[in-house]
Amino acid sequence: MGKQVDLLQGTLDMLILKAVSLGPLHGYGVLLRIQQISGEQLEIQQGSLYPALYRLEHQGLIKSEWGESENRRKAKFYRLTAAGRRQLQSETDKWNRLAAVIVGILNTKPEGI
Amino acid sequence: MNLARLRSWWKWVVKRKQLEGDMDAELLFHIKSHAEDLVRRGVPEADAIRQARIALGGIESQKDAMRDSVGHRWSDELWLDLRYAARMLGKNPTFTLVIVLTLALSIGANSAIFSLIDGVLLKPLPYPRAEQIARVFYRSTSYPKFPLNPWDFLDFRGRNRSFESFAIYTHADAQLSGMGSDPVKLSTFQISSGYFRVLGVQPARGREFDFSEERPGNGNVVILSDRVWRNQFEAAPDILGRKVLLDSQAYTVVGVMPAGLNHPGNSYNSIAYGDTVDAWTPFTFSGNPNNRGSHYVEGIGRLKSGVTVEQAAADFNGIMVELASQHEDDKGWTIYMVPLFREIVGSVHKMLLVLLGAVGLVLLIACVNAANLLLARAAARQKEIAVRAALGAWRGRLLRQMLTESLLISLLGGALGVVLAIVGVRALVFFLPAGFPRTEAIHVNAFVLSFTALVAVGTGLLFGLVPAVQASQIDPKQGLHEGGRGSSGSIRQTRLRAVLVVGEVGLACLLLVGAGAMLRSFMNLLRLDPGFQPQHVLTAEIALPNANYKTTDNVAGFYQRLLNNLNTLPGVRAVGAGTDLPWTGYDENLGGFTIEGKTPPPHEEFHARYHTASADYFRAIGIPLLRGRFFNDQDSKGEPRVLLINNVMARRYWPGEDAVGKRITFDDKPKDSDWFRVVGVVGDVKDTPGSKEAEPAFWWPVLQEPFPFANMTIVLRGDSDPALLTDALRSKVRELDPSLAVAHVRLLDRVADEQFSTSRFALFLIGLFAALALLLAAIGIYGVISYSVSQRMPEFGMRVALGASSWNLLKMVMKQGVLLTGIGVAIGLGCALLLGGVLDNLLFGLSARDPLTLIVVGAIAVVTATLASLPSALRATAADPMTSLRAE
Repeated sequence: MGKQVDLLQGTLDMLILKAVSLGPLHGYGVLLRIQQISGEQLEIQQGSLYPALYRLEHQGLIKSEWGESENRRKAKFYRLTAAGRRQLQSETDKWNRLAAVIVGILNTKPEGI
Repeated sequence: MNLARLRSWWKWVVKRKQLEGDMDAELLFHIKSHAEDLVRRGVPEADAIRQARIALGGIESQKDAMRDSVGHRWSDELWLDLRYAARMLGKNPTFTLVIVLTLALSIGANSAIFSLIDGVLLKPLPYPRAEQIARVFYRSTSYPKFPLNPWDFLDFRGRNRSFESFAIYTHADAQLSGMGSDPVKLSTFQISSGYFRVLGVQPARGREFDFSEERPGNGNVVILSDRVWRNQFEAAPDILGRKVLLDSQAYTVVGVMPAGLNHPGNSYNSIAYGDTVDAWTPFTFSGNPNNRGSHYVEGIGRLKSGVTVEQAAADFNGIMVELASQHEDDKGWTIYMVPLFREIVGSVHKMLLVLLGAVGLVLLIACVNAANLLLARAAARQKEIAVRAALGAWRGRLLRQMLTESLLISLLGGALGVVLAIVGVRALVFFLPAGFPRTEAIHVNAFVLSFTALVAVGTGLLFGLVPAVQASQIDPKQGLHEGGRGSSGSIRQTRLRAVLVVGEVGLACLLLVGAGAMLRSFMNLLRLDPGFQPQHVLTAEIALPNANYKTTDNVAGFYQRLLNNLNTLPGVRAVGAGTDLPWTGYDENLGGFTIEGKTPPPHEEFHARYHTASADYFRAIGIPLLRGRFFNDQDSKGEPRVLLINNVMARRYWPGEDAVGKRITFDDKPKDSDWFRVVGVVGDVKDTPGSKEAEPAFWWPVLQEPFPFANMTIVLRGDSDPALLTDALRSKVRELDPSLAVAHVRLLDRVADEQFSTSRFALFLIGLFAALALLLAAIGIYGVISYSVSQRMPEFGMRVALGASSWNLLKMVMKQGVLLTGIGVAIGLGCALLLGGVLDNLLFGLSARDPLTLIVVGAIAVVTATLASLPSALRATAADPMTSLRAE
């Protein structure tokens, strides 16, 4: 079970970085954005969202400021930092390489060996 | 942790309140936004908030996770641990008090003793590059440390290759007069040019002496201390060039030294002159340069950088060989050099290290005791810990919490210990023996405080670790099962505690043996016959100025008149004058002589310390006559010359003969009138009460002294309180010469008492530490036995049911306590036998392996153990069979 959590956590961080890279978002907005761009296929556990946001801000990958939401409420908006942009780039590359390798492995047929 | 994380962590430390508010606001916003969406999707408004809340999860655990993300969970938990620890300690105040007090006492005592050692042994002397300063002595087969001859000094200074600067000094008090008030006696030194360069200090005003001022006739210049300049001359800015009257002669002031200048001192008088030097005058070289026989100046030098004391001594010994080939008097001497630091602190070095060892043992015992108490508590809390473990407390978390508790205890103990140290150091300095070196350097300082902090935290970790590890290893199942009685863990724990108690008792015994040996040594010292009778005796010093008292007739005549006048005072039983008071140090007065009909071994001379004394001096001070007669008024100028000698001199130079009637002389080619006849032998007085034996000594009668002794001590033996004679003494002196100062008025028993102060001081401290150790060991024994009794109560009940009497139970428990103590005593006494040699130099008249001390210490330990086990044993006798049966 522990390994799955780790994997999920790493993935969540990457998805959050991607979501805020498209424009500043508040926490609830991050949730909606990920669900929206995944075509509603991915449901994020709400409980792990805020610890992840705090962790990313703590690491200096995103930063936050208070602003006004679309429904005229005070909300905390997160945006990507330069360090976050670099991190997102390298995570994306890593993910793509890993995915390609795994896809390659999974597509292997007996005659291919 | 990189910079971004550090900044973020710090932001959370300083803006905690604001950020906590932000956290709430952010989560609230989330819930509201979610609820609005739900309402839009058709969920009833009342239900929407609830659903949104559930989706987010528990707010508090959410916030915990968020704090964890920014690295603040750890410090939050520490705060929780601290609060928990404080609550647990407050719940059991007796336990807390005992453990904090034992630690505070031992940490306080350690810091105080460490302050002492830091000030005396670790701090450099108050001179720049003090490690380059060395004292220079002569040495022969009979005299390990002997002063220099002034003419030899000039040769050494001329040929020296090892010293940047080499100088001599000698004590020569002077009277400052003509200031309009009473004359003042100044503590004055004669110094050669370059003396202050050796010390590395420069006059605050004016200059040092130069070589030309060492020539006879040029020496009437003086350098004043800051204190004299301020007190006697109102800090006059135009002091340089002013003429002052010293011993009725005009001296020109050429310099003023800076405030706080310390005189280096020596091992006889480590702070001898301390900062009490008032003025310096040049040492002038006069007389015959080939006279190399008289030794009275102290050598001191500053080594060139890179030159060691050994190299310098080798250099000087080479020069000594050259000198010995030119001067008969220089044969048989070698040079002995010692770093100034060692010369000053050498005498107390060992005592301080023994004190440090003793106080370190106390700290060790306190730690063991604290570990023991914590173990007992851990055992009592086994159930609580087992419950927490069963409820899912992580083992590391339990460990950390136990450690927090013991650290809190040790920090409390440390803080209280610092307070005790500050008070303790003040007390120590106040009670330090007279003449203790460098007391002005003893303070609690930052270094000592950090040492204390280190000891406190180290102690906390040390004694917290064992019980914490033990407690964290408790198996929840076992712990929950009926308090875990009889489980392997608790047996192991009991055994560990037994071992700790045995160790504690052993260490305490070691200290007790030390204290016992010092006590017996001290009693030996007190029981010793001092060789004189110090009760009811008043002493005072008088120094006659050279200008008005040039000849022996002037000097001897003055003292004779003064003594005659004092004799008429009511209440005076005997009055005398002498040059040296017993037990006040040795000022290196040593004379060589020839004994009629005897030749000394090659390259050796007959030597003895010389003094002069008036007729009634011995009666006044209480030194007994062994053979022959004392001086009388007929032993005067023109009469046959006579001497009194002490018993050691009689036995050394006339073994197996009667010394009375024998003759000695101080001339190389004596006429018949140059011989001195021994008319009596008096009792010996040692240098200090602890000295091995007295040194050979003789006395000239004042009226026949070969050169004037201007400085004498008046000794008045009274009928009752001699202090009442002080005013009469002053007025009798004023009647004869109003320009004279009467200095150092002291009671002889006070002088004698100072000689015991070092022993008394060491004994007091070691005794205190030993008592503390015994008390701690008793607490340890009590703790172990008491715990074991509460564990075995059901068993005792069964035994009562089976017919055991109260007496049987009492004996069983007591046996356990005495057995533990017995093993501890055996180990402690064994160690004492092994380590006893450490104390040997500090003891007088016995060895640290003294069997009586060992037996008494063993007995004390066993009695203490018995007393400490008694309450628990009595509790055992109250065991009730019914309670046990119900419990089983």
